[in-house]
Amino acid sequence: MIDQNKIDEWIHEVEERPASAALIIQYIANRLSELASREEELAAQNIELLSGRKVEEYESRITILEYQLDLLKRQLGGETVLPTEMPATKPFLELVNLLVYNPMGQVLRVELNPTDLTSGQTVARIMGESPLGDIRPNLLVTNSQEELLFLFDTGRTMALPVTNLPASSEESLDWQQAFIEEPRIKEELAAIHPIAKMSLYEACLQTSRRGFVKKIRTAFLVSHITEKYIGTGVKLPADKTCGLTFADMEDLFVMVSQEGYIFSMRVDRLPVAIEEVIHLGITDHIVAWFTAGQKPSLIFITQNGKAVHRDTSWLEPASSFKTKGQPLPSKERREAGTRIVGAAPVDEADWGVFLHNDGSLTTQKISELLATGSVPAGDKTNSILSFTSFHVPEVNK
Amino acid sequence: MGLHVGIDFGTSNSGVGIYQNDQVHVLPLDTKNIVPEVVKTILYITSDYRHFIGQEAVELYYKQNINRQRRFVKKWVGEIDYHGAEMHYVRDVYVYVDELQPGRLMQFIKTALRSEKYTGTQVFDRFYSLSDIIAIYLHSLKQRAESMLQEEISGVTLGRPVKFSQTPELDQKAQTTLHQAALEAGFKQVDFELEPVAAALYYELSLSNPQNVLIFDFGGGTLDLTIMRLGDSHQRMVYASGGISIAGSDFDRAIIQKRMLPHFGKGLVQNDPEILNLIHTIPDWAALPELSTPRARAELERALLAGQAPVRLKALESLIFNDLAFSFYNMVEATKISLSSGGVAVARMKEKDLDIWELYTRAQFEKDIQEHREQIQQVLMDTVSASGMEPGQIDAVVKTGGSSNIPVFSEMLGRTFGSEKIKSSDVFNSVTAGLAIKAHQNS
Repeated sequence: MIDQNKIDEWIHEVEERPASAALIIQYIANRLSELASREEELAAQNIELLSGRKVEEYESRITILEYQLDLLKRQLGGETVLPTEMPATKPFLELVNLLVYNPMGQVLRVELNPTDLTSGQTVARIMGESPLGDIRPNLLVTNSQEELLFLFDTGRTMALPVTNLPASSEESLDWQQAFIEEPRIKEELAAIHPIAKMSLYEACLQTSRRGFVKKIRTAFLVSHITEKYIGTGVKLPADKTCGLTFADMEDLFVMVSQEGYIFSMRVDRLPVAIEEVIHLGITDHIVAWFTAGQKPSLIFITQNGKAVHRDTSWLEPASSFKTKGQPLPSKERREAGTRIVGAAPVDEADWGVFLHNDGSLTTQKISELLATGSVPAGDKTNSILSFTSFHVPEVNK
Repeated sequence: MGLHVGIDFGTSNSGVGIYQNDQVHVLPLDTKNIVPEVVKTILYITSDYRHFIGQEAVELYYKQNINRQRRFVKKWVGEIDYHGAEMHYVRDVYVYVDELQPGRLMQFIKTALRSEKYTGTQVFDRFYSLSDIIAIYLHSLKQRAESMLQEEISGVTLGRPVKFSQTPELDQKAQTTLHQAALEAGFKQVDFELEPVAAALYYELSLSNPQNVLIFDFGGGTLDLTIMRLGDSHQRMVYASGGISIAGSDFDRAIIQKRMLPHFGKGLVQNDPEILNLIHTIPDWAALPELSTPRARAELERALLAGQAPVRLKALESLIFNDLAFSFYNMVEATKISLSSGGVAVARMKEKDLDIWELYTRAQFEKDIQEHREQIQQVLMDTVSASGMEPGQIDAVVKTGGSSNIPVFSEMLGRTFGSEKIKSSDVFNSVTAGLAIKAHQNS
């Protein structure tokens, strides 16, 4: 932009007003200094390009995109060529897949027909003399097109489609017949998480039992999944990773502890390095984690079947890390032994599924649960071990 | 019976004055401005039709607009009838509207008075005629003044240039529009005084002997010249008056055309009429904010993909789509103003994808406005000639208006009349003060 004409004009200015010379020199010197530092930045970028670091970055991005494409293909049934003569269309009934899994890597899958669901019904029962053993299984409800990510407490991951898990008979669920992804030595299955829609979210949050959180950008997560390792997500030797959740930066992330302390904070404020965001008591641990999303209500289930309902607006987002959390039950109830076994954001159209200590799995409409305030239990010794909510998919025609 | 005030409705700045207890007071109506007696002639209308003027308008505009999001929606605006030899059909017409636009900024409102074609503008769903726009501005000034004086204002003496336009019909139309706007603003009695005459009345307060005075009123929109006999209120006389529609905004435009357009691709982009049209719209302050359309973006993206002057076109894209037009014009004006005190200035603007650094000297500026200088010299000599006097018979030359501080014009006046005769009045307030005196006489 500086050509000979301009330089001549500046010289003309100096000839007319010699006092301008000093100013012109000063302005040009300032500009030169600014341009020199910018040139240095550009030279550094050029070195990155020449050394191949940029190429590696782009290759990594291509790998991520290829993985997502592969995922989509699998969800949509691959590159199957449609028959030229289309069969008569039938209403496509989306089944609800209920998964029960334990730290030993055993996974039971039950297919539920959503049109057959009734509130308070026992949908399945885990058989055997000691159906649950000493370990508490977890629940997950998903659709048949999902891709599942198995997360082990060593940070190892494994992905496979839901339909690769064998479906069990509803009446008799038997761990002996379960699909097993056997953990390695000193390893436990921490969680199973659906990941088909992860590219729709900005971040993935990894949560630990002791209230530590790590935020990973979804774009980076894909490369972790490709490498089958996401990290342990823990800092303390006695801690273990317990789950993942996907979120956008403006979402409100919520964690609930067994003793009923709740931590909530906007996702963009959460740390990217593993940090303790809620300071739990020595005997306490996290039992539920989710983003509040657009759901109007939160429901908390206690081990004795009480369903505590709060509006989402009741949450008081934490202003800093390591807070004690927002208490849910009163001190008296906590001291009396009330414990939370699960929590979820819900609306009235949702359903809840409960795992009882006798091995039975029951479902209940959330609207009824909100009305009655408790989960029907067979007898007083029956307690609830695990809870999750789900939305019944609409029938596609 | 309410108060009578004088209002200088200027192209760039306005002011309100009142004559009370044998003293002129120019009211400090814009407490947010560096000089509170000066209210920028800027109006900002928000999407919920609230109005803001002066520095408040500028600040709100910056707050709501810079780097904001946009969302264009297609909106039906009407139909066009096509009549062919044997056919007739009607076609719907759509425009793309930015539904997230928070408001509309208007400046150089007074300049529109001299336009033959400009009747008003659409602001969101409402049409504002030119008199509506001016009325809103005057009404806001009136409200602020009433709140300060704690009394109702019923009459106003408005300043007007010697010639809004060279065409008598347009000149009359401009005054009629301004008169109508003042009535709409709530003034019951409205009269006019020529701005240079108002400046002369203020200067007259300092005179002890009668003098032949040339008022050189050079503001943002016009140059007004008046040669008067002052100093004896019984023998006050206008010998000649003249003017030309050249002033500060024309100099800004000259700087943009000659020095800024190359930063946006002028000289590098060839044979691309759509892009060249975008570049050549930059000097037009009214049209530039309207360029942020999906079509313009598509054109720019196409040219960028073709590798045409990518850095310059990115700068153009940033100027248009980051709402930087107002900042850009302010930067150009600030560069021009700083050349009045020094021989060199740097026109600098650094925003996303936009990096302007232009060392600009007074010699370059004087070269860029050479044509205007010659026209001004001509109208100056014509006016002196029309007064029947020789330059030597002029006792004093009173400069007023922001552009009168430009050194090349002071030198021009000095060469013509003698530098000892050049008097600087209060460049921003002398017209307002003179109008306040006139309003007092008219009340």
